Amino acid sequence: MTTLLAACLLLGAGLALYVAARVARLGGPPAAFLDAGRDLPGWTACFLLPWLVLAGLGLDRHLGLVARYGLQASHVAVGMALVAMAALLLWNRLWHAARLAGLDTPGEALGRYYGSITLRVAVLALALLFALPFAADLLSSAAMLIEAVSQGALPRAAGIWLLALGLAVPAIIGGWRAAVLTAAFLSLFLFVLLPGITGFAEIVLPGPGFPAAPIPVGEGILWDRLPGVVRHVAGIGKAVPAEGIFTTLAVSSAALALTGIVLSPAALYFGQTLRAGRALGLSTVWLTGGLAAGLLVLCGPVLALRMAGGVAELAASLQAEEPLAGAGFLLLLLLPGLMLAGFLVTAGALIWTRDLVLRYLFPRLDARTQRFAARVSIAVGFFLMAFMAAFLPLVSAVLATVALPLAVQLLPALLGLSFLRWAGRGAVLAGLTLGCLIVVFTEPPGLILFEGLFVDLPWGRWPLGIHSAAWGLAFNLLLVLLSAAATQRAPDRRERDRLHDALLAATGFRIGGRGLLWALALIWGFLAYGPGAILGNFFFSDPIFAPGPASALGIPSLWVWQILFWLLGVVPVWWLAYRLRFGRTSEESVRPIVLGPPAGLRPPDWLAAGIARVAGRGPRARPPATRAPRRAGRR
Amino acid sequence: MDQERATDRLDRHVLVIAIWAPALFSAVLLLHRGIATGGLWWIAAGFAALLAAYAGHIVANAVLGTGFSRGEVALGAVVFALVLAALLLDVLVAPEGITDAVWPALALGMGALIAAVVIYLVIAHGPRRAFETFDVIRDNNPRPASRLRHRGGRR
Repeated sequence: MTTLLAACLLLGAGLALYVAARVARLGGPPAAFLDAGRDLPGWTACFLLPWLVLAGLGLDRHLGLVARYGLQASHVAVGMALVAMAALLLWNRLWHAARLAGLDTPGEALGRYYGSITLRVAVLALALLFALPFAADLLSSAAMLIEAVSQGALPRAAGIWLLALGLAVPAIIGGWRAAVLTAAFLSLFLFVLLPGITGFAEIVLPGPGFPAAPIPVGEGILWDRLPGVVRHVAGIGKAVPAEGIFTTLAVSSAALALTGIVLSPAALYFGQTLRAGRALGLSTVWLTGGLAAGLLVLCGPVLALRMAGGVAELAASLQAEEPLAGAGFLLLLLLPGLMLAGFLVTAGALIWTRDLVLRYLFPRLDARTQRFAARVSIAVGFFLMAFMAAFLPLVSAVLATVALPLAVQLLPALLGLSFLRWAGRGAVLAGLTLGCLIVVFTEPPGLILFEGLFVDLPWGRWPLGIHSAAWGLAFNLLLVLLSAAATQRAPDRRERDRLHDALLAATGFRIGGRGLLWALALIWGFLAYGPGAILGNFFFSDPIFAPGPASALGIPSLWVWQILFWLLGVVPVWWLAYRLRFGRTSEESVRPIVLGPPAGLRPPDWLAAGIARVAGRGPRARPPATRAPRRAGRR
Repeated sequence: MDQERATDRLDRHVLVIAIWAPALFSAVLLLHRGIATGGLWWIAAGFAALLAAYAGHIVANAVLGTGFSRGEVALGAVVFALVLAALLLDVLVAPEGITDAVWPALALGMGALIAAVVIYLVIAHGPRRAFETFDVIRDNNPRPASRLRHRGGRR
């Protein structure tokens, strides 16, 4: 199996190299290396977005949780429609903002719109968090899996460097377009592998599968129901309920955390560099909310039951039946992480190059040198990521836990840029700061640091079983609302209004005044993954409208509930995409504007001073201030 | 403009690879399983994977407003010919009994692939133009009169 798996991985790397070489030989403008000319084909979004979400969820970890906790863990998949809605709303607006005001990167968009260097730094820090520890954790997991299935023939460290090399070379050669094309290509491969391997395993492996057999879980865990709405527990690491951790509030907050992957700087950058068209609607409605969520709801428990003995055991069983099936199963677990790691590092390096190197450090580079700088950044990014994965796996794993919830804390800032013109800089920054602090202190980095230095905190990870993303966002939004109420007359309001007016003129649609849509989305959310989902425990097995238990169904009531609300979840996404036209982007009505102060070449003083200290040269001389010419009549 | 066209061609090329790669993986898996176990349904599923990829390729062509490139046609024809030759050779020289159970299914699958191509050509171009695509003999007449419409509008 090792040989076959290695051959498949080599073939994939070869294809990626081929695509990168073809992209490089196109001979386009050097600037296209960094942003693909903002002309990425729509089909890349169709295939890549769903698998970004599934890889962000961590398919192998998700299947492991389903194998451990049963259908309560699988319920998170219903929340993929929420992720699709977030991508639809925010990517559409950011795409238009990029065309309207030249806000080409997420950092540029937030920084220029709010007039805030701090937000630029926050986006850069977030991009770094995703590109290094988060990606390193993914790569480390992939290398560990290869080490396990090869029985040590390929050690973890060697696997990490080989995989990193295979990911880095195509990105260095072909830049952003090659990285996205390769990731989209792998995504389509995974779309075939997930149902294919599940179906194959069900046909050839002995013994009844799910739902004929229950998922074997630990003592006391409720595998076929949600263990309540919320539990009064301190959190993971302190105390967890014996029935399982996935209460309805845990599920809804985990779904909220999952939106972090589409709010990450890399994913936003991808949305900004897409070509105009209808791909966003197709991608979010049918492929993310529809196909990907459905595959996870339907195939997740089936595959998880077969994985009860472990990944290596299932791979060996499949390999005994058909060698390529064993390799295919391992590819299904390996490729999402590898694809996401390559995507995040490439995007992170390009964002850093554009927002820091080319904007502040070396603003006068010509286009060819900019491309070279981007290549160096990508190479350095992959090296650091592989270094962290190889030598700092624990640090990577700990830091990776905060990446998604911290990305969610950008939501109020992004909503302000996209829809809420009354949200100003001060409000957004205050909310972001508080939200990030809460996330850090309800996740391992803050808990380990604080408890190691001072005293034990009374809460653990995810207090009350609620994900840190939800804790942070709740306080973040509260502070934004309170602060915005006090800063309505801020001097930057006029600039914000200009962008919103231009967005309205370019897109022609508002998000407000759609009572039926929002009522429908709220009711769906409440019943699908909110507190109302608790009804699904017995709704179809012991219905309240019938006198006795309905045993004829033969499958767990919660699974039926999940399938039902997965299907119903497509409706609000469809409504947003097609009735409100968020699924369509067009440059026809775009009238460019100049937003805020023009992009200056002078770095901020603190940055210039830092460069001067490191490089040993004085800060760049400021251009002489130009005065308005005096009127001839004035004396 | 040329740059744009080259980029579009490359994007389409990668999409086509993305469509065929998982289909080929699935087809190899299923056909190997079918040949190894003598399961005819596995073989049918293998050819169904190939037909699905072919349909996907046609859909991609329709959405992007393109057709099959010369390279794709040549590659498809060469691979098909090689597989067909391998199958025939196998039937002729392999020890008796090895391929007896599966060669009718494989032949049927190959026939289904040919039928799919013919059906596509007829639907896309109509019977006459589909035939003319292969009718190279008609183009061998160098006289200008052969181009006249009432003489068949050759070329």
